[in-house]
Amino acid sequence: MNLKKLETGNASFDHISHGGLPLGRTTLVAGSSGSAKTLFGAQFLAMGIELFDQAGVFVTFEEQIDDIRKNLKSFNWDIDTWEKEGKWIFVDAAPKEENVVAVGDFDLSAFRVRLERAVQRCKAQRVVIDSIGSIFTQFHEETHTIRRELIQVALTLSRLGATSIITAERLEEYGKITRFGVEEFLTDNVVILRNVLHNEKRRRTIEILKFRGSNHEKGENPFTINPEKAIVIIPLSAMNLKHISSNERITSGIPALDDMINGGFYKGSINLVSGAIGAGKTLLIANFVNGAWEKKERCLLLAFEESNEQLNRNAAGWGIDFNQLEEEGLLKVICVYPEISSLEDHFINIQEVVKDFKPDRIAIDSLSALSRASSDKGFREFIIAFTSYLKHHEITGLFTSNTPLLAGGTSDTEGNISPITDSIILLRYVEMNGEMQRSIAVLKMRGSRHDSSIRKFSITDEGAKIGKHFAGISGILTGNPMLIKLE
Amino acid sequence: MHVFQLFINGHSPNSIEAVDTLLKICEEKLNGNYKLEIIDIQKDPDKAEEAGIIAIPTLIRMMPTPVNRIIGALNVRSRVLAGLGISSMHV
Repeated sequence: MNLKKLETGNASFDHISHGGLPLGRTTLVAGSSGSAKTLFGAQFLAMGIELFDQAGVFVTFEEQIDDIRKNLKSFNWDIDTWEKEGKWIFVDAAPKEENVVAVGDFDLSAFRVRLERAVQRCKAQRVVIDSIGSIFTQFHEETHTIRRELIQVALTLSRLGATSIITAERLEEYGKITRFGVEEFLTDNVVILRNVLHNEKRRRTIEILKFRGSNHEKGENPFTINPEKAIVIIPLSAMNLKHISSNERITSGIPALDDMINGGFYKGSINLVSGAIGAGKTLLIANFVNGAWEKKERCLLLAFEESNEQLNRNAAGWGIDFNQLEEEGLLKVICVYPEISSLEDHFINIQEVVKDFKPDRIAIDSLSALSRASSDKGFREFIIAFTSYLKHHEITGLFTSNTPLLAGGTSDTEGNISPITDSIILLRYVEMNGEMQRSIAVLKMRGSRHDSSIRKFSITDEGAKIGKHFAGISGILTGNPMLIKLE
Repeated sequence: MHVFQLFINGHSPNSIEAVDTLLKICEEKLNGNYKLEIIDIQKDPDKAEEAGIIAIPTLIRMMPTPVNRIIGALNVRSRVLAGLGISSMHV
């Protein structure tokens, strides 16, 4: 059996929940303080009004209504107007300034009557109660009564038939579902929001714990709070490996490198250039960008290390004219510091640009710089989501990654990304006869033959030059090259 | 002068008990010098909305200030008196 769902209007949530929230039922949204519970609820109502013309009731047990209005203003939701039009009704159950004492038994019938009236008045199809834990704090000596009364509230909600969200606090990110054990009577549908601090980086995730009698994605999915779209989830678990693999090849911009990889990168493939500082990574990127000329493709360059001017100057030094590409509309360069926002936000910004610019190629210089903006786990998830996104749109990617050692070695960034790349190109220094020489080698090329030799690589005024292979030398990749006698 | 509002829900047992207790206290302690408005949320839900009432019964002491609230059936007389600021010695 599969119960019916109500499309929330938050596309990313509807995606991971396989269609939205259980229709006509109550979903418990639990999270620690600052985990965006209120926003999740408000977005549910706002989307309902904006996209489906479904009215909503917002009950606050915690924050004052004026504060909520103020906090939500930044998302361009016109709550004031919606209130005037009767599409959004606040029910104020927040604590009052006055001193309150309890003497004897009571019930919450006044609240139930008000809730029901509000729902009927605007014919609400969506209800949010935020947050139920604070009613326990308001009546902290009567938790038994509150528990009994909340069961009544839950029954009222189910009788009214609106699709509702009840938010509740949690004290620990991984522990009991809610602080006051509300999950004991709101058991059917549970969503958990997390806001975990790990290695000085915040990481927000959403997990659908259960939707009774219905399918949904399992596990945690990272999300971010976007200034325009509010909560945007990056659906990791909902991604599949059903990509189209193309046999079409596109040029790397360097004919000799195309030869090494048997005719160019596959269209829609993800390719990695690994190398130490100054080994020629940015040069390969510049050539890849320039390769867009051949078939008049569009290329998006995301630079996380250098400014636009620096990039243009460097490219010009290798005989590549970025300005002309930009004028032709074949190139868009975006230079940002990785630290200005979280990886999730970068991801969403990149998606926006891709939607507008529709590039055929994406170059990132460098992934290592970008990895600074997140925890290891977050970075791994970003890479998976991002590469899957690119493959889905058949965009060919070339990324660079820095190795910490001058000769030999790999980096953590590579450890994260190498399994999902289609090809890896190594740029390594070779110390020979008191001289630093550069080398290039293709480590892997999925679905294709490739040159297995380690070749000389030099950076000249005309750009990259790929020479003969280092015959009679071994140990380049480990950083200890040795001459071996050829028999 | 004491001014009270008492919010009740029809004839629920808690409501009846609260009304009885409060009337008795007013009669015995306040010597006619009080105003009491009893509001049934079934008949007058707008007033409950306005005052942000969630629990029934809720007694609001409007005067003397500061305004305060007592919720519940008011079945412990000494605590109600304390809550309302009426001394049990008051004549």
